[in-house]
Parts: sequence; C-alpha cells; structure tokens
Amino acid sequence: MIRRPLRVCALVMAAGAVLSACASVTSAPAGPYTIGQAQVTLGHEWSDISAIMLARPAKVRLLSMDGPLLNRLYVTDGLAPGEFMVKPMAKERPTPTYRAGMSPAEQMEFVSDSMGALEYQRVETDNPRPAKFGTADALRFDLKAKTKEGLDISATALVAEHKERLYVVLYIAPTEHYFAAELPEVETVIGSVKPVA
Amino acid sequence: MRAAFRRGAGAMLAATSLATTPVVAEPRTPHLRPAQTTDEAGIWALSDKAEQQARQSVERNRDPALNAYVTDLIARLAPEYQGDLRVYVMDRPFFNATMAPNGYTEVWSGLLLRAESEDQLAFVLGHEIGHFAENHAIEAQRAVKARAQGALALQIAVSVVAMGAAVNSGSAQGANDIMRAAGSVNDLIYLSQISAFFSYSRENESQADELGFRRATKAGFDPAAGAAMWQAQVSETSASSFKKVRDQEARGSIFSTHPLSTDRIKALETLAAAAPRATAEDRKRYRAVIRPHLAAWLKDDLRRRDPGSSLALIDRLSAGGEDAGLLTFYRGEVYRQRRLDDDLVKARQAYAEAITHADAPLASWRILGDLAAQAGDRATAQSAYDTYLARSPQAPDRWLVEAGLKKLSEGNPS
Repeated sequence: MIRRPLRVCALVMAAGAVLSACASVTSAPAGPYTIGQAQVTLGHEWSDISAIMLARPAKVRLLSMDGPLLNRLYVTDGLAPGEFMVKPMAKERPTPTYRAGMSPAEQMEFVSDSMGALEYQRVETDNPRPAKFGTADALRFDLKAKTKEGLDISATALVAEHKERLYVVLYIAPTEHYFAAELPEVETVIGSVKPVA
Repeated sequence: MRAAFRRGAGAMLAATSLATTPVVAEPRTPHLRPAQTTDEAGIWALSDKAEQQARQSVERNRDPALNAYVTDLIARLAPEYQGDLRVYVMDRPFFNATMAPNGYTEVWSGLLLRAESEDQLAFVLGHEIGHFAENHAIEAQRAVKARAQGALALQIAVSVVAMGAAVNSGSAQGANDIMRAAGSVNDLIYLSQISAFFSYSRENESQADELGFRRATKAGFDPAAGAAMWQAQVSETSASSFKKVRDQEARGSIFSTHPLSTDRIKALETLAAAAPRATAEDRKRYRAVIRPHLAAWLKDDLRRRDPGSSLALIDRLSAGGEDAGLLTFYRGEVYRQRRLDDDLVKARQAYAEAITHADAPLASWRILGDLAAQAGDRATAQSAYDTYLARSPQAPDRWLVEAGLKKLSEGNPS
C-alpha cells in the first residue's frame, strides 16, 4: 500500500533532480571568455545562465548580471549555414537560420528575427555601422523592441561573417535603467570579440 | 515501472473516452450577467481577466478607425447585443476571431488580411456571434471539465517536475522557459484528452456556420461569402510548406475548433443557393479599409515562416490587381527568405517588377541592389542603390548602401 505512492514520489523527485542538475548557473569571471571559435574579454564577472535557457542551441552562450529579464548577453560560436540562435519548438514553427551569402542587411534581419523568435515584439533595427571582429570587418547596429506586456527593450549587436560562419554578440535589456547600466561593459565586450587564434 | 505506466495510460484512456452527456447551455439573453453562484460567473471572471490582458497587450492594434469599423460591422450583425460586445483588433498573423462569454471579442489581423471583402468578414464574425449567442463556450467548458478529471493527475505530475527545475533555475526567465516547455507537454495531454470533445464541438461549428450565414445574409451580405471564405482557408492550408500543416485539413475535425470539412463548405453552398452577389467594388471598398495596415500585416505573416502559405495568401490578395508594388515586394521577400532552388532569381525578378509600381516599398530598391550585386549584375545594383539613396537621403542604413556602392566601384560586388 505504501510502496506505490513512494515509488511515484521517488520518480517525480528523481525527475526533478535530473532536471535541476542539468540546469545550473556558473560563473563567467572577468578576462578572456571563449565560446568555440570566438573569444570575448569580460570586464567584470558575469553569470553564465546558458544551462537554464531551454530554447538555446549548443553554440549560443547566454550571460547575465541581474537575471535574463533585466539584462542578457548572447555570444555565439560561429553558426554554420542552416544553424540558428533560437531553437525551434516544432518543425512547422521554424526560427531564423543563418544562410551562406547573406547580405549585411540580411545578417541584421537574422538577429532581429531571432529576437522575434524569443517573443520580443515589434523589433526594429537602427544605426548600422562598421565594426571589427579581430582584424576582419563586422557590422554593429542597435535594436528596439517591446515585451508582450509592453515594456520597452533596447539592444545592440555585432555580427561578423568569418570563414563561412556567422558570429553574433547581442545585448538585450529593458530601456529604462538596465540597458544603459551595463552598456559601457558591453561596449568593451563587443569591442574585444575576435576569432580564437 | 512499465506496468504502472501502462495502468496510468489505461486510466487516462478510460477517462478520455468516457461518453459524457452533452451539457447544452441556454441561448444567451442580451444585457445580462450570470449570477455569482453559477459556473458561468467563473468563466466570465476568467474572460474579464483575459480581456484586461488584451487591453494592455502590445499586440493590440490601436487604430481607432479600424477598431470602429469592426465594431460597427459586429453591431450590424448582432444589434440585439449592442453594448455587450467589445472589440479588440490584435496584430497577430493567424486566421482567428474569438468572442468570450463576457462579450470580449478579439479579431486578429490574420483574419482581416485574409477576408477578401466585408461580406467574408461578416460571415466569420457572424459565425463567432453564433457561438456567443448559443453559449457554446459555456457548453465547451462544462464538457471539458467533465472529461478533465482523468488527465489531471498526469498534468499535475508534469507541472510538479517542471516546477522543481524552474525553482532551481534561479531566474524568472529561466523558470518561464522551463514552464513553457512543460506547457507544451501539458498541451499534448490536453489535446489528446479533448479529441473526443471536438467530435461534439463539430456540431457547434456547423451550427455556428448556419447562424453566421443567416445573420450575414439578413444584414444584406453576400450569401456565397461563407463558402468562399472557408474554401480559401482550405486552399491556403493545402499550400503550406509543412506536411503537418497540410494534413491539418483532414485532422481538423479532431483538433481544430474550426474544422473546414467539405461537408461544411457544401452546406454553406446549399444555403446560399444563388450566384455570388459581391462585386469587385465590394472588394475594393474592403481593401481600402485594411490598406493602411497591409504592409505591416504582410511583414507579420512572413514571421510565420511558412512560405507556401504566404505565397498562396499573396496570390489571393493580388487577384484584383490592387497594391501590386507592395504585394510583389512581399512575394520577393518570401522567395528571398525561402532560398530554395532558383528562389533568389525569382526574388530579384519580383523586386524588379515591384519598383515599376508606384506603391513599391523603398526597401525594394535596396534589396534589389543587394541581390543584383550578389548576382554580378553591377548596372542594376548601381541603379537600384542610387535610386534608394536619392529617394531616402536620410536612410538609417545609408552607410551600408554606400559601402555596397564602394564595393561595386572596386569590382567586388559581393
């Protein structure tokens, strides 16, 4: 009589333990931080919350200071053609994929549509400008969006196509206070991104 | 473990397959709220909460003219419920309209984009008013509640496991992502559980078709509009790029609240029993109503990433020859984003055609420049970029276009 409920409880707890073991936040200390073939230099310690974001492909790392609702910094390894920043939940609900030969405007569109796939609304890009990925040319631009609840969101991004791979650094935060608060650090991080030698 | 799981699954199956006596609700009396002690009052409270969320949603289309237009159309179809029904147009790229028991009504841009005329929109809204007037939502809630008990235990178990992971995530968004993933599992349980319910709902759907037809024709709308609207939906679904979506027509009678079966379309055609009355002028008048939103809604539609369905929609919108620049531009956008076989060639042709029309979006020239440059057509690229900059000297992406021109001059177009 007692055994069956215990078995059920044990099953539920074990499943919970397995899930919680998989989902852990780690430290991303100040200094060089490598993601596959890309490297950035962090000015201060961040939390690497990649493990708890289920819609994240393996090549995408997610860092945060105050939790992902308040600031999030995506840094990707080089995405190959056909790969995405946001994992699709179903085959018939695809998310944007990187395609070989994308124009700079299409690379911006890839990032803005990926933000859309993260359920940000009315995503708009602005102010494209030249940047560097190590010594290679890259593209910087800013984004504006809203959450479903209407909160204003600001973002800034760098994209670089290097050896037929697309590298993305994307910082997203609420426009009020949080975006500006980490922007100096993010500018340093974006300015430091380069391919691993 | 396996035996226990089989027993659980068996219990689930038994629970879901139990025949439940249909709980028929009385037709609605205008201007009345249910008594606080009834189950209907609880459903109204949930509807009130959903309405509050819709009111504040960033997806709400706040164009007063458009909302007034839809509100007025509903008032013509359901004069007895005037004051009971409150319309919220939502910018969501799916074919949908809903009317909650408390009168809160959502009309999605995907429906407004797909209706060819006011007659077709009137039929769909009449259909929803039919559900509302007959209290079908109350019947549905009661039927689902009666069937829910068997699935509840498993649903709670899934939620408990997910909650454990969510709490351990240490962040609201992480928790949200985990719970959303668990929600999908719960959706599957929910859908399998209510598959029996929708065989019952089919009758409601057919009844709502007939009621919608009668309301629309009584208000003077084209009797053929209902069948035409549903047939267009069937055609668009069958053009989807995804097999699962294409197959939904056959399975729609199980999982969809709006199964568009051949029987339903034939029933409407029989009811109409007359030649279509809607004219090209009717279609033009309706297009004029939605034209201010056409570009934004087409852009939203592309975010569904179902190019087959989007091309079918654009073909249909193009049939009258209006908005040729805009629609051809978006045809180019579908090809460019799909990138199958010779899609980039088709895209380039579409942008080149779009710019021959006065209503072509400015981006047509920039994207034509990009694609022509990639294809090595320097003359077209140069001309398109120059025109873009001439038409939009303050374009925020001016630097990018100038960089493209510089590459062209250096003989390195791509």
